[in-house]
Amino acid sequence: MRTIYVDNNATTAIAPEVLEVMQPYFTSEYFNPSSMYTAAQSTAAAIRQARETIANCLNAGAPEQLLFTGSATESNNSALFGTVQANSQRHHVITTAVEHPSVLEVCKELQRRGLEVDFLPVNRQGELEMRDYVKALRRDTLLVTIMLANNETGVCYPVAELVRIAKETDPQIIFHTDATQAIGKLPVDLQGDLRHVDLLSFSGHKLHAPKGVGALFVRRGTRWQPFILGGHQERGLRAGTENVPYIVGLAKACELAVAGVDEEQTRVRQLRDRLQSALYECIPALEVNGSEAQRLPNTLNLAIHGIEGEAILFELSRYGICASSGSACTSGSLDPSHVLKAMAVPFTAIHGSLRISLSRYNDEQDVKRIIEVLPEIVANLRKLSPYWDDQRNCLKV
Amino acid sequence: MPWEYSEKVLQLFREAVQGSGGTHMGELEAPDGFGEHGSIVCGDALRFAFRVKRHPTDPTRDIITEAHYLTFGCTSAIAASEALCCVLEKQAKTPLEALRITNQDLIDYLGGLPDQKIHCSVMGAEALKAAVIDWAKKRGVDLSGYLPTQLERQEEGRLVCKCFSVSEPYLRRKIRELQLHSVEAITNALKAGGGCGACRYAPGGLKDLLDECWGTISESEAVAETPVAPEPLSPYQLGKKVEQIIETVIRPLLQRDGGDIELIDIKGQQVYCRLIGACATCPGSAQTFKLLVEQKLKEEFSEQLQLIAV
Repeated sequence: MRTIYVDNNATTAIAPEVLEVMQPYFTSEYFNPSSMYTAAQSTAAAIRQARETIANCLNAGAPEQLLFTGSATESNNSALFGTVQANSQRHHVITTAVEHPSVLEVCKELQRRGLEVDFLPVNRQGELEMRDYVKALRRDTLLVTIMLANNETGVCYPVAELVRIAKETDPQIIFHTDATQAIGKLPVDLQGDLRHVDLLSFSGHKLHAPKGVGALFVRRGTRWQPFILGGHQERGLRAGTENVPYIVGLAKACELAVAGVDEEQTRVRQLRDRLQSALYECIPALEVNGSEAQRLPNTLNLAIHGIEGEAILFELSRYGICASSGSACTSGSLDPSHVLKAMAVPFTAIHGSLRISLSRYNDEQDVKRIIEVLPEIVANLRKLSPYWDDQRNCLKV
Repeated sequence: MPWEYSEKVLQLFREAVQGSGGTHMGELEAPDGFGEHGSIVCGDALRFAFRVKRHPTDPTRDIITEAHYLTFGCTSAIAASEALCCVLEKQAKTPLEALRITNQDLIDYLGGLPDQKIHCSVMGAEALKAAVIDWAKKRGVDLSGYLPTQLERQEEGRLVCKCFSVSEPYLRRKIRELQLHSVEAITNALKAGGGCGACRYAPGGLKDLLDECWGTISESEAVAETPVAPEPLSPYQLGKKVEQIIETVIRPLLQRDGGDIELIDIKGQQVYCRLIGACATCPGSAQTFKLLVEQKLKEEFSEQLQLIAV
């Protein structure tokens, strides 16, 4: 059975081009880039080159502003803790209720350490209300951290606008954004509309590089201090021997991702939109979470009333379709997704969420197959559900 | 995390979803016993019903002939519902015999359940019990000899887990019945503590109930997870909190009478304030200060807190 992989916001397949450029650094070019002998120059040069490539991809300016890390989670931890450590005179942090756990949990930890954190609410579409944001800004605000795009719903946040308001209020406020889901799907220009963003995180495995590599952009002059100590690598800003093959892979993946933004915005968006309208037609009591907000072109988060997400995933997997859900049974806790809860998705649908996230490797066939099987799966599960009226084909109240 | 379901769970789930013959999925019209457990808000719910062949003279000898269910929930919740009906047919003839079926019977029938899915089997056993109680009511059977003294399905009492509406009497009973020895086991079986988690180690929470039930040394995690006493507020935090209380509690009260309050400074435990507006010229302003403002602040912080008029 062919695997239909539509869980690209969770992780992605490694691009063959990426794997190819990584190969030599596993075999012949294994030298520690910090070593003195001539042979090691090739690995040191590979890292230098990778840094330049990524800086170009993001129009970041000086490549030294990019640090290689082990993951977006590490980048987010470093960004937040490193900023707080370097700015002990301020005590207030602003974030949103829908950030990735690697931001949210760090913010909760900061709270426990005595800082004040505002978790901005979102509306029914998953969008921020500017009024809430402006009201939250304070004289002692140290850090604002708001993601570019949400991993569950694909809803995008107006970071360019948010950072401008913060800096006009007080240029000392440090602005961090988690760009993990955005790179390759949205244009990211660190000298253009994002020129005032101080810190930006992302990882490789969401853009067809392997898991275990990420990057943190720290704009020159930002009051930030290193979080991982114990070595001179990355000019002392992130200790640890450089993961050469993965860094090389990340650079290649960034190149491909940035070159692919147009395809993502056209072909992938069309696939997603076609899938969305077909499912709207054949599944009653279906909502699309964040449908009226600015959304990533590849993400479709469905709220299917009256049934539970894990059962849907399980049925889909029988057809080789890999997707994900924000239902309690799949979240690792007994609580449904914090993002959908923050959006006040109705209780009849919050456990029936299904996220389909496409990539450039998906095609017409994949979408067709989902349209063939999903409506029937939903209908079968609804027959079992005490909350579904099968005769009238609607939700029982 | 990936699924770790037994073959039996998978088989029952698939048969139910595909509506294969012989499954018990569906509704019964005018059932003799009907019971529910869970809710859509919690993420799973089971609606269970059975029909009996009535004995002409002795209702305790009614024979269960048919059982059906509708389930909202995950793979294992659906399989557990199916298991409930199968076990019932195999082990019980009368509703009274059905009361002996426990969630462990369902787990055994299913060939095991992952720890975090134990609550699916509890849901089945609870819905069955509720249905038998319903049957007994309809048939005028006295269940007092067959059920624990409190037979109410949703025991009334203080809510311990607010996320999943789990009450203290229910928890007390279940901790013993299901032999739950850790907070995690409670969460896996009853869901309590699986939402915000606030009730796990709160006073009167899950840990306290466990200790009461089994004595104090019931789980090793307690040592690591005992919450540390909160640090005293820093001057900065104190200031922020005072401001917040003035803003939300004191100021609205004063403003009703055309007055207002201004916070000037905070040094250690001394709070410097100024009354303004109508209150400033009021002969009773000293009273206002002592009675209202200082009282409120002392309540919120400590008796040592001192209010100084400026």
